[in-house]
Amino acid sequence: MVQYSSTLDDAFAAVADPTRRGIIERLGSAGPASITELADSFDMTLTGMKKHVQILEDAGLVESEKIGRVRTCRLGSRRLAKEAAWIARYEKMLNDRFDRLEEFLGRTTGD
Amino acid sequence: MMTATAPRRATVTTPTDREIRIERIFDAPRSKVWKAMTDPTLVAQWWGRGNKLVIEKFEPVRGGHWRFVEHAEGQQHGFEGRFREVTPEERVVQTFEWDGMPGHTVLETLTLEDLGDGRTRLMTTSLFFTAEERDGMLQSGMEGGVNQSYAALDRLLESMK
Repeated sequence: MVQYSSTLDDAFAAVADPTRRGIIERLGSAGPASITELADSFDMTLTGMKKHVQILEDAGLVESEKIGRVRTCRLGSRRLAKEAAWIARYEKMLNDRFDRLEEFLGRTTGD
Repeated sequence: MMTATAPRRATVTTPTDREIRIERIFDAPRSKVWKAMTDPTLVAQWWGRGNKLVIEKFEPVRGGHWRFVEHAEGQQHGFEGRFREVTPEERVVQTFEWDGMPGHTVLETLTLEDLGDGRTRLMTTSLFFTAEERDGMLQSGMEGGVNQSYAALDRLLESMK
């Protein structure tokens, strides 16, 4: 049990950064993506994205493979990666839900 | 349609290494936000994030059960939990589980704050547990419960002598 608990703590430490949470969520829900695609969707420079991906790779959360000139990233196969993806996905779900609630409350103004 | 450029008045923090806290300010009075969160016909209109939502169970009282199924792109995602505390217009404490990650319980505490200018702050603190921890808690809880039951049985048997 101690071992499993530290997995969740490690997953949290790895996803402490909002951009990295976003990358994990993106790879977990939409599948593999190239560094260029990730940089575009997070409005970042290639250099900045490479740094984030490197940190995630070092933590074993993300795996990447270079074919030709394109480096493709995917969610890591370790248990920790799945824990981290769940945390990131949960957060996105909550924010999407509150976006909808906000829209709903705005739509019903004057009720 | 919501767009990525829509202003998002949200802050996300990680107060401890097991918690995520999301704060949102809604341009609506607290009573209205509360109603949107606890009236099932209203919940169905936003909880599914634009997807069809089937509310199978919704009992917003202490000990009550909730179960929602979101229908998205031919897939079904079930979510469920129990209400631990429901204090009208102030606080809801509930558990949250997604069918896709069975046993990964999240304990959610939602508090509403009237900002006094017609706006309301919603703060959600989500505490994460692993499946093993959850099972451990259940087990220890059950052991306690079983022991209490045995103690009550002992007392009952004693009184029948």
